[in-house]
Amino acid sequence: MNIALQTQPPAPSEYYSETKCIWCDGCGNYGIWTAVKYALVELNLHPWQVCLCYDVGCNGNGSDKIEGYRFHGLHGRVIPFASGAKLANMRVPVIAFGGDGATFSEGIGHLIHGVRSNYPITFVLHNNTNFGLTTGQASSLTPQGQPMNTSPNGIPEHTLASTDLIFSLSPTFVARGFSGDIKLMTRILKAAIQHRGFAFIEMLQACPTYNHFATHEYLLDRYFDANADGHDPSNLQQAKALATQVQDRIACGILYQREDIPDFYDRLIPRQGLETTCVEEVRRYDVSEYWKGLV
Amino acid sequence: MPRVSLKIVGASGQGINSIGAIIAKGLKRSGYCVFGYREYPSLIKGGHASYQLDVSNERIRSTETRVNVLVALNHHGLGLNMEELKQGGIVLHVTPGWQFPEHHRKLIAERNLRVIYFPVDDILYRLGARAVLSNVLLTAFVWSMLDQDIDALKSLVGATFAKKKALLELNMRCIDEGYSFVDPEQGTISVALPPPNKDFASHLLITGSQAMGLGAVHAGVRLYASYPMTPSSPLLSFIAELENKTRMVVKQAEDEITAAQIVSGAMYMGTRALTATSGVGFDLMSETLSLNAMIENPTVFVLAQRPGPATGLPTWTAQGGLLQAANCSAGEFTRCVISVSNSQDAFDLMPVAFNLAEQYQISVVVLTDKQIAEALYTQHPYDLEKAEIDRGRLVVDPEKLKALKSSDRFDPNAEGGVSFRWLPGSDAATYCAQGDEHNSSGTVDESSLNTKLQMEKRLRKLHGLKAELPAPHLSVGGGSAKTTDWMDVGDEIELLVVGWGSTGEIVQDVMCSDELRGRKIAYLHYTYLWPLRTQELQRLAKRSKRIVLVEQNYQGQLGMLIRMECGLDIPDKILKYDGRPFFYDELLSSVMERCASTSENEEKFPGLEQAGSPS
Repeated sequence: MNIALQTQPPAPSEYYSETKCIWCDGCGNYGIWTAVKYALVELNLHPWQVCLCYDVGCNGNGSDKIEGYRFHGLHGRVIPFASGAKLANMRVPVIAFGGDGATFSEGIGHLIHGVRSNYPITFVLHNNTNFGLTTGQASSLTPQGQPMNTSPNGIPEHTLASTDLIFSLSPTFVARGFSGDIKLMTRILKAAIQHRGFAFIEMLQACPTYNHFATHEYLLDRYFDANADGHDPSNLQQAKALATQVQDRIACGILYQREDIPDFYDRLIPRQGLETTCVEEVRRYDVSEYWKGLV
Repeated sequence: MPRVSLKIVGASGQGINSIGAIIAKGLKRSGYCVFGYREYPSLIKGGHASYQLDVSNERIRSTETRVNVLVALNHHGLGLNMEELKQGGIVLHVTPGWQFPEHHRKLIAERNLRVIYFPVDDILYRLGARAVLSNVLLTAFVWSMLDQDIDALKSLVGATFAKKKALLELNMRCIDEGYSFVDPEQGTISVALPPPNKDFASHLLITGSQAMGLGAVHAGVRLYASYPMTPSSPLLSFIAELENKTRMVVKQAEDEITAAQIVSGAMYMGTRALTATSGVGFDLMSETLSLNAMIENPTVFVLAQRPGPATGLPTWTAQGGLLQAANCSAGEFTRCVISVSNSQDAFDLMPVAFNLAEQYQISVVVLTDKQIAEALYTQHPYDLEKAEIDRGRLVVDPEKLKALKSSDRFDPNAEGGVSFRWLPGSDAATYCAQGDEHNSSGTVDESSLNTKLQMEKRLRKLHGLKAELPAPHLSVGGGSAKTTDWMDVGDEIELLVVGWGSTGEIVQDVMCSDELRGRKIAYLHYTYLWPLRTQELQRLAKRSKRIVLVEQNYQGQLGMLIRMECGLDIPDKILKYDGRPFFYDELLSSVMERCASTSENEEKFPGLEQAGSPS
């Protein structure tokens, strides 16, 4: 996060939207949406100071239920758009949101290169373990054999080991939240927005309409705050173990973080020592120096 | 116009390009206009490749199929390229003991060709030089045939090795040896060049890709993201080579979708960002084109054409992407398609493209092709005072920002459909750049009334754009200043040629030919291709005896757009779709055939009866 903190903190009401929420009763998005607003307010960020980028899916239907400079794009593509936005103006915190359907199917290449590139953005995975907005098809995170819309016999593919995949990419920030614990999500989001580099947050959430296996109660019974249990986010081995062993209990909190790795922008040699952003640098340039060798 | 052509052929990786580049630069510095054209297969080593230089003391921008000098770096070149030699041409080869087959011996006799064997290996051995220096030896010999000053070559080559003394000395010895070589059978041979024109000495030798890269930097582009694909890759390479000087953000993306999205995100945030691709790479970008239309995000895409479908001919040229650029992607929306034609407008049109994108908050597709991207042009240094940076209705003033309402962003009543735009991070009311149909602040609104209003807002821009885009450019033939007055006094046009992009260069060289001196030929060149202005064409068509379309595609795609827009059908087409550009002599003969038939047949051109009236 590079924006100058304001002396005047925002009122939570600055983030209120006139648009009515249209998520299903009991949808996990209400909790995530609330925690995002809390995190921004607690970081003293006014709506005009932030850029919120939404993928397509039920999460994306939140794009007009909050204030802030927002973007709602195409399925699976939110990470490169958000990254481009951030690289253009490093002073604006950029938070991208995407569902498990888009992120681990159509946009999986973007996710992989986003983590690998360590773009200085926050990515919030809304994981309700299915394609909700297209009426409950299996995503690659849906358990194998689970009957879903378009797969009445259950999907033949095995479930993608999403956490193993993320850890294989040398991430610098991995956290997990639960849509029923707003305090926990707010803490994670604040840390993620302040993180140097790509912050990956998985938000476990209920989908009361289509997800009848990992329900709100199921998650509520199993989740716990690993940091409260003494987990040190700098311990990679423990983080991996906690993150992937989710059969009985599901570890949440900041599972892994390291700040010593430069983000993508920090690694750009041409930008080193520059105080300005690409947005501020738009003007007509004299290029005659560059053609001297061509005469 | 005097023309001399020199072609270097051999295997890819043999040094064809370095010989071509040094001779081109040397001749340019001596006061010649040089046009360089490369042919090569899609591989790194081996395969047959060529580098042709067409040289004049007047402006030259096309390639001939026939050459004055053939330099063959291997015997395959002798097999494949002998037929291209002009009467009295020179064949320079390096293959010891080469026996020409019977048909070539006949050719040599008929065309009075002079064959020189240059014993490159013997000389290298004598000098104790490595094989890589054979290029310097050959260059020096060619240089002597062109009657050029040896010191000019020495200073050119010397600049490369200034810091490596031992190498420098060896290179200079090679130049002396090559330059002083005399073929024992042929004696001293020289290629007659016209007297030089010193104006060219200060020009640049530049590829279209380099020109476009300089134009992009000039236009204020601060972020470039792209995925390698010929013929757009040289632009990526050039921008990347400059990055430590320009201090731009340069990103080689993981695919074309990513490149398009990164650039769109950067433009949304408010910088100027650019991407480039070709054919199927642009297919991948097309969903982003549609997205940008909905969120009214200004963006510029370079589409460097090569023959398709699929990967087609990766290293060859085409103009088959016009309809793709004008029509691809979901939904109806306003876009602008423009095409560069040469190294001048490859530079000039970059600021223009960004200005159009920002003025109308639309995507602009800039077409180029392999011919432009990789051809070597002799270019007058660019005017750096001409371009304006116009960011349209972008609001940056703090007071004005404070006065904005969220609903100003996509206000359907905005003049010309172009509403205020302001950037994330601005202390102002916020909005959503919404990919779903939305109301004036970006809130999703699927109502009938709103859908209609927003669609009309976005499409209203098309009318303003069409009215404001510059007219197609008319070039008038006739051969001299005196004879071009015929256009102004309203004479009938003997032949009206219509075209766009890189083919325009060849048409214009053809119009300057001695063969067509005094003929009332006019060429209407389209730079702004969509939306398409047709009123000038319709007016000219009415006074033309004959009209012909010149394009490098199978269907005559500009012709299709013209017919779609105004009903004017141009049945006579000169089309080429074999991956090669039009060659000067080839196009000249096609144009001359038509001029001959207009002279014989005084009947009015039948296709014109269908023309609509100028609007």
